[in-house]
Amino acid sequence: MSTDYTRTLRRERFWLHLLVIVLVLLVMFPFVWLLIMSFKTIDDIFAWPPKWFFTPTLENYTGLWQGDFPASFANSLITSVGSTVIAILLGVPGAYALSRLPVRRSNRLSILILASRMAPPIAFTIPYFLAYRYVGLLDTRIGLILIYLTFNLSLVVWLMRSFFDATPRALEEAAWIDGASLMQGFVKIILPLSGPGLAATAILCFLYSWNDFFFALILTRTEATTAPVAIVNFMNYEGWAWGKIAAGGAMVMLPVLVFSMLVRRFLIEGMTAGAVKG
Amino acid sequence: MPALVALMVVTLLPTIYLVIVSLTPLDLARPETHWDFSDPLGQYRTVLNDERLHNSFWVQAKLSFWSVALQVLLGFLFALLLNVNSRVLLALRTVFLIPMVLPPIVVAIIWKVLYTPDISPLHWATEAMGFVVPSLITDPDWALTAIIVADVWEWFPFVMLMVLASLQMMPSEYVEAAKVDGASVLQLTFYVTLPYLKGVLLVAALFRLVDSIKAFPLIYILTDGGPGTVTEVTNFYSFIQAFNFSYLGYSSAITVVLVIVTILLSWAIIRLVGWGQRVD
Repeated sequence: MSTDYTRTLRRERFWLHLLVIVLVLLVMFPFVWLLIMSFKTIDDIFAWPPKWFFTPTLENYTGLWQGDFPASFANSLITSVGSTVIAILLGVPGAYALSRLPVRRSNRLSILILASRMAPPIAFTIPYFLAYRYVGLLDTRIGLILIYLTFNLSLVVWLMRSFFDATPRALEEAAWIDGASLMQGFVKIILPLSGPGLAATAILCFLYSWNDFFFALILTRTEATTAPVAIVNFMNYEGWAWGKIAAGGAMVMLPVLVFSMLVRRFLIEGMTAGAVKG
Repeated sequence: MPALVALMVVTLLPTIYLVIVSLTPLDLARPETHWDFSDPLGQYRTVLNDERLHNSFWVQAKLSFWSVALQVLLGFLFALLLNVNSRVLLALRTVFLIPMVLPPIVVAIIWKVLYTPDISPLHWATEAMGFVVPSLITDPDWALTAIIVADVWEWFPFVMLMVLASLQMMPSEYVEAAKVDGASVLQLTFYVTLPYLKGVLLVAALFRLVDSIKAFPLIYILTDGGPGTVTEVTNFYSFIQAFNFSYLGYSSAITVVLVIVTILLSWAIIRLVGWGQRVD
């Protein structure tokens, strides 16, 4: 009887695995199709029936690299990294202070953090747009870096606070008894312990800024255009350059895929920052 | 604390400015409308009377309802399927992260390709099977459905991951006890797993609901709000008012309404999460 049972179990497991694999293929198909498309010539893209086997070409990528796209890609990098660095520098000490404060004050903050994560981007875009028009920050990388702080700063404060909450107070207290200053206790004892958390937080900030489309669409024109906006421009002005669009999309998603696999444990926590504590 | 001051400066100040602008009829083409507070509630009166805006609420409601409902359903089912102790399935879980971490603009491009008849493998496949499918994103009857499908694809993994995380913490005694009592798999799901997951499903749904109000890249790329105003959600309409027509005053008033709705929903989330903590 028991062998019968295990046999049924094993059969069930087999079908389950098969089902899941089929579903994964289905779900991934749209994504894979874009990747394949980025290696096709324009004739192969319009081939009917669609071609599964074709001679891959890099012409879309090289074409992309000879135009304005590298400049936009660089803008994306500069604004994302810049905003991440500022958010970390400002947010980490704040998170530490909050983690050591009485609970009630930090609850009020969690509403502010959640609200800034929840608000539709247009709520920030209109005032920033008007202010930037006035002070001349439209179409600048600094302008983008600043508006990315609206979500990055709250993300850093929230995530780092939960990491600091998890580090025992006894550690820095011991350091203070040994004569370390408040600052030394933080920099020499607590910060090194939060290395992984800090890295994960920085990566999440980078990803959020990198993925932004809306802010860059409205606040940039030509000089500070980021990569996502540049791809969309291929749709409007160059008559649907499908090959370039696909290649550009692949370039933009590459860093995202690499980084999100590194921080996959923190992804949900980052997305629900302010409400669900890790 | 400098961090808090900075947070206030970058988020609270602009919000206050937004409210102030919403009290003026600011039109970038007419400089004299700047700081014109002669009729502070004028824009809000327009909010009450603008039929195109009301249509956008209705579109938003349809989009939010269907995409959140389907995301929760699919997320739940996929989580049940993947919640098996198996190394293969554990590795496959990571693959499901891809749609939701992709830059939203890339998701929009992916679906633009699939919805463009000339180059879409889907259109080819349906044609090969003998059906002629119209171009979904330019068909008034199908455009919103097309957006919902893409949105569900992008975000059901979010619900799935939240449910999986919660399932891992489910006490095994629950399941054991039910099995001892002779419960079938279906009964187990309905009477044990589902009640246990009620809280996390609700929180995930609320998060998706709030995010669905922000829907932009998919609509911008796939349909541009059209055909007509079939896929024009409120957020998108506000964008058009502000940056196509340059009626920033009116757009601010619409946005203030949107912000109030999101704050109410966020407040609901906080209450729910707090409630969840009290239970355990």
